[in-house]
Amino acid sequence: MSNEKQYDSALDLLRRLSPRDTSLNLNRITTLVPDLTEDLLSSVDQPLDVRRCAKSGRDYLLCDYNRDGDSHRSPWSNEFDPPIDDGTLPSERIRKIEIAANEAFDVYRGLYYEGGVGSTYFWDLENDEFAGVVLLKKAVSPGSKSSAAWDSIHVFETSERGVRASHYKLTSTVILHLANETDALGQMNLSGNMTRQVEADMTVEDDASHVANIGRLVEDMELKMRNLLQEVYFGKAKDVVGDLRSIPSLTEANKDKASHRDMIRSMNR
Amino acid sequence: MSSTTEIASSFIQDAPPGELQDVVKDIQSLTSDTDPFLLSRLKPAFQKYNEEQLATAELPARTEPVIISKYNRLPDGRYFDSESNTSFDFDHVTQKASKPQSYTHPSPHRDLVASLQKSFSNYAHEHFPSATYGVYPTMPAEDSDTDSNSSSLALLLVSNRYSPGNFWNGRWRSSYVFSPGTHDISGTIAITVHYYEDGNVSLTTRKPVHMALSPPPVSSSSSSDDDDHATTVVAAEVVKKIAAAEKAYQIEVNTAFVAMNEEGFKGLRRQLPVTRQKVEWEKVGGYRLGGDLRGGGQR
Repeated sequence: MSNEKQYDSALDLLRRLSPRDTSLNLNRITTLVPDLTEDLLSSVDQPLDVRRCAKSGRDYLLCDYNRDGDSHRSPWSNEFDPPIDDGTLPSERIRKIEIAANEAFDVYRGLYYEGGVGSTYFWDLENDEFAGVVLLKKAVSPGSKSSAAWDSIHVFETSERGVRASHYKLTSTVILHLANETDALGQMNLSGNMTRQVEADMTVEDDASHVANIGRLVEDMELKMRNLLQEVYFGKAKDVVGDLRSIPSLTEANKDKASHRDMIRSMNR
Repeated sequence: MSSTTEIASSFIQDAPPGELQDVVKDIQSLTSDTDPFLLSRLKPAFQKYNEEQLATAELPARTEPVIISKYNRLPDGRYFDSESNTSFDFDHVTQKASKPQSYTHPSPHRDLVASLQKSFSNYAHEHFPSATYGVYPTMPAEDSDTDSNSSSLALLLVSNRYSPGNFWNGRWRSSYVFSPGTHDISGTIAITVHYYEDGNVSLTTRKPVHMALSPPPVSSSSSSDDDDHATTVVAAEVVKKIAAAEKAYQIEVNTAFVAMNEEGFKGLRRQLPVTRQKVEWEKVGGYRLGGDLRGGGQR
């Protein structure tokens, strides 16, 4: 079907074009193929916007999962802004888990991010099952012309696995932007996003177990992704620059290699 | 609302090193059903991309590829290569050269171009494992009434490493314009690295460079031997300045990687909390609302 092929092409294109302009390019693609809009908006992660909850005075994060029409639901007040009458709310049970998850991830955010903003949203699935998203965002500006921002988006789904066990599927994306500008350096921008998935079966005693299980999954995933991002951003990218241009003269470098080889050969004789 | 041509052109401009054809395939998939003539209307975007990214073309007359840029474009849209004294057609969509012809640029600086080519080539081989480079007398702008444009020389270099099997590609570009009259060198160095395994990570850098040669020694005689010598000295001096600037720049970039890691990245998310303990989820998840969630009647 051509739509499915176009959807794949859209995702491939977004994986190639500048990750700093994902929102802009998403708009351009959906201008070309308006039918893709809904599918792409729900599957392409973009940096999260922050809004202040009028009722609680606390900041929360906006995404497709707490959006209904043009309004977004605050996890703190459970109310939509701008207000709407018939906004989709989680069921009473799921809202209780959502409140507990927001409390728990607020502690998590304090411990790992020492600042920033976090929000967790849950929604009901069929058969008493549910899904949700954990969002965390932090931005810093270490210098007047340097900036850094982290957005993590963890989408999960649960399904029951027999008595006292649940299956969790977690898809995590971290969007990491870093920029620096000085006279000696010029402009340097290191930006992007990486996505990873994990599935696990975990024990469930009661609904509080879900919060702990999701917490552990997200904590492990963020540690793994933080290490991966560090390796790609500051290891791989730097290595590729070194592959493009060698600071030492290549003749000298090759001579060193050759004499090293000769030495090893003579030692093996 | 932007037109299809404008949107597709913006995608082409943004194509990472070595991935232009992939981007074109995606554009075709997103548009071809409705617009079979799009590619021909995108020619200006392809030309801009090729000239800015310093695309390379194979010529029968030479073993190494030749650079495509605005500096070696002729008024009729063909391009010229000063090393093999050839001009050729270039198809911007397929990136193929054709119809080579003998061509000699009417530049007053032909000896200097030759000397710069030699020095620049030595430098390129010393520091770039796979570089394409060229030195071109710049074409006078059509609307320019001074001859200052025609008397400057462009030194261009592009180094590409493509590893699509490992999901990364990279490009280093250097462009300089040297004015023999004023002895000024100005230009830019730009690096692009794209990594796209289960993600999309992009490094882009851009550094403007301005340098001036020290004034040339005043020679009392004007024999052609002295001229030859002076030309060689100037060429060596230009390339020496470029080499020093590029070395300093690359060291600066490496330092910035460390600084971004230490100052930016580490300030965003800790590897572990200060306590070096992972979160005790049973406690944080349960201690305030646990009563509710556990169905107990403590609250």
